[in-house]
Amino acid sequence: MPNLETDSKLVTDEYKYGFETLIQSDALPKGLNEDTIRAISAKKNEPQWMTDWRLKAYRRWQKMKEPRWADVTYPPIDYQDICYYSAPKRDGANAEAIDEEMARTFERLGVPLHERNALAGVAVDAVFDSVSVATTQKEKLAEMGVIFCSITEAIHQHPELVQKYLSSVVPVGDNFFAALNSAVFTDGSFVYVPKGLRCPIELSTYFRINAVDTGQFERTLIIADEGSYVSYIEGCTAPSRDRNQLHAAVVELIALEGAEIKYSTVQNWYAGDDEGRGGIYNFVTKRGHCRGRKSKISWTQVEVGSAITWKYPSVILEGDHSVGEFYSVAFTNKKMQADTGTKMIHVGANTRSTIVSKGISAGHSRNSYRGLVQILPSAANARNHTQCDSMLIGSTCSANTYPVIECENETAITEHEATTSKISEEQMFYIMSRGIDEESATSLVVNGFCRDVFKELPMEFSVEAIKLLEIKLEHSVG
Amino acid sequence: MTQSLQLSDVFVAALDAARFQDLETSGVTPLIREKRKAAFAAYRALPMPTVRDEEWRRTDPDQFRIADFQWLPVLASKTAPVGEHDFDASFDVVVSVNEDGYHIADRSGLLAAGKVVVCDLETAARDHASLVAEHVQGAALMEGDRKFTALNGAFWNFGLFIHVPRKVEIPNGILVRYQLGRAGSLLVPKLVVVADEGSSVKVVEMYESGDDAPALCIGVRELYVEQAARLQLFALQEWGRTSFHIGEDWSRVGRDAQIDWVTLTLGSQASKMTMGCDVSAPNSNAYLSGLFFADRDQHVDQRTLQQHSAPNTYSNLLYKGAVKDKGHSVYQGIIGASPGAIKVDAYQMNNNLVLNNGAKADSLPGLKIDADDLKCSHGSTMGNLDPDQLFYLKSRGLSEVEARRMLVLAFFEEVITKIPYAFLQERVREDVNRKI
Repeated sequence: MPNLETDSKLVTDEYKYGFETLIQSDALPKGLNEDTIRAISAKKNEPQWMTDWRLKAYRRWQKMKEPRWADVTYPPIDYQDICYYSAPKRDGANAEAIDEEMARTFERLGVPLHERNALAGVAVDAVFDSVSVATTQKEKLAEMGVIFCSITEAIHQHPELVQKYLSSVVPVGDNFFAALNSAVFTDGSFVYVPKGLRCPIELSTYFRINAVDTGQFERTLIIADEGSYVSYIEGCTAPSRDRNQLHAAVVELIALEGAEIKYSTVQNWYAGDDEGRGGIYNFVTKRGHCRGRKSKISWTQVEVGSAITWKYPSVILEGDHSVGEFYSVAFTNKKMQADTGTKMIHVGANTRSTIVSKGISAGHSRNSYRGLVQILPSAANARNHTQCDSMLIGSTCSANTYPVIECENETAITEHEATTSKISEEQMFYIMSRGIDEESATSLVVNGFCRDVFKELPMEFSVEAIKLLEIKLEHSVG
Repeated sequence: MTQSLQLSDVFVAALDAARFQDLETSGVTPLIREKRKAAFAAYRALPMPTVRDEEWRRTDPDQFRIADFQWLPVLASKTAPVGEHDFDASFDVVVSVNEDGYHIADRSGLLAAGKVVVCDLETAARDHASLVAEHVQGAALMEGDRKFTALNGAFWNFGLFIHVPRKVEIPNGILVRYQLGRAGSLLVPKLVVVADEGSSVKVVEMYESGDDAPALCIGVRELYVEQAARLQLFALQEWGRTSFHIGEDWSRVGRDAQIDWVTLTLGSQASKMTMGCDVSAPNSNAYLSGLFFADRDQHVDQRTLQQHSAPNTYSNLLYKGAVKDKGHSVYQGIIGASPGAIKVDAYQMNNNLVLNNGAKADSLPGLKIDADDLKCSHGSTMGNLDPDQLFYLKSRGLSEVEARRMLVLAFFEEVITKIPYAFLQERVREDVNRKI
């Protein structure tokens, strides 16, 4: 076998999304205080109730302490040294030029912003730094009664829905970063799918951080009304810079009776360079609530970027017979750190959850799975199956697994299995004996390892994810 | 010790500086005094664990009301055995302990022949100073900053030292039994076992007390299994239902050596235990097994560490537990592989039976892997008895109760049969049976 240890120098130049868009931006000065929040609220022309809600969250946040329990290390974050609002500047004369530039940016990222690209069958909401710059296919969706817009627009157009559902899954004071997000969130997507409708096109948000020292705080709220279905995709990239940037998002999903939400993420934020300089701190709170009977929420995530990933997409299974799923591939390399996993909280009877987590660590990275399966006394016949596998490439990385299983109902059954091992020598030998070179063989084995997760992704995305992983794996062997 | 350490005195109940001074000046050998002193410095500097600590989140340390118990003065040697059991005859050496003192019975003449050393720590410090110096608070303590390990090091009131010399085999094993009868006793036992190169020994520890005599035990074990040696340790905890138990045990397994460690936790109101095992040299093996059953309002919290600090090491863990009535069990386990610990094979399995609503089982199996070429896995299951199996047994004419009993016993049999003493197997089965 070749020396994996010294040759593990993955993805040095492959981060092809590392470019910067040179446009003027309209940004607030750095720093955070009540005036900043009022200013954000004013820029977005928000109603008073929203401003008050933000201020309440801010006051709450001031009393909270930054959590330190995760298996990640990073220098203290100076919350006063972050710009909390940055938007592409649009003044009458050059508005068109800006739009062109933006369109080009998203074109380079492979995101279709123009309706003529609607062939892709996806409706896109593009978020650039702090604001949503475009939402496609809106009219077509509106005809069917689907509301798909930026959250700012939703606050203006559908205040009753926003007020009813916002922070109903992730309370304002849920955790440090959720409270911060509630105070300063700038944009994100809002989706409402009406009763009984199976949303025929996939909804998607593309997040792009561009400006320097800007934090991105997005807020996504998806509501699937009774008997509806929606598939939502999220993609993220950022320019390569040598300074860390904070991304603290909150995503809330609500599935009413018989509804199903499928949420897929391909997260490819800039991960920092070989020495661990720069990269995004991705501290995200994602939670779904299966409120009604027979509702279903499914999370699929492919995490290949970010200097630090810290997120646990969770499902609260309240409705009887509701189903929660979590499929995850987390790839870490260089000095990346990932602490990710899920929480499945079984409240209702006959609730079921499945967790499949695949972690791959290379270079000097740390990759941890942390999960909670909680069976409350009311969750009769609850069922959980968890499978966590970790693969190690090279001897300087680490893989950790910290599951918690709590069971308070005698009729519940839970199973948890986890393995950690290096890439199988036997499989490699077999493939290579068929004349396939080592790099391709590694890629094949890794893809096979992640198959259970990739097959859950929407088709085009699945292809994309496989390619992405291949790129990330280049030069990791040989 | 430094000034700053002394500034943050954190004493547990009456185990304070004055008490320590009494203990220190009451004529002990210099080596023991040094050991106690070092432990006391650590003890007074370390904070008391709280529910805010991850490890204690599920077991509130406040429920161990240490202030309600009276620390027993260091136990003295007795001329006659303390209590008697018919199974004493199954062993070569029997150490019996109660509140008034302890007795060591040399049943097969091994002690007299100098084949094995079983004595209290003071005697050992005089006769085997270098062994004691190395192995008391020695390399086995893999987690340094632990309040109760330090407390035990400073305030142990019964210290037992077992040394099995090179290539000696103790055929019938050593029994250490604790029987407490007086209400309010605080027993702080320390057991140090050194199985020297190529030796082989079985040690059984039994803790008993009455339901009406609440006691508290804060015990620490240090187990050293040297090259090519084998140690089998069986610990049966049958404290009465009003008693409390805190245990922190550490073992270090050497090259080509093997430990078989079976922990049977059936008694006490609440118990909190840590069992750490370091397979520290190539080809060292650890087999850790556990059986626990929390019924009524019992609380059992067990934490295991399988630390692989060397390449080519092997560990296999099986902990099986049941909860019934309002019982609550917590199992936390970590498999750790240090950087460079390649070709490691480690497994960890935790099976739980939740026998009725109201009972609660928590399982936290964990992996901390810092090396690449290895195989580590764990599994955890929770559930009730299999309804198909119950139905089958009932269709054969067994009553519901009989069928359940049979299945619960069958569930535990895998662990019970790891005990090489028939009387002990039977005793555990009876204990389990009573709880069903």
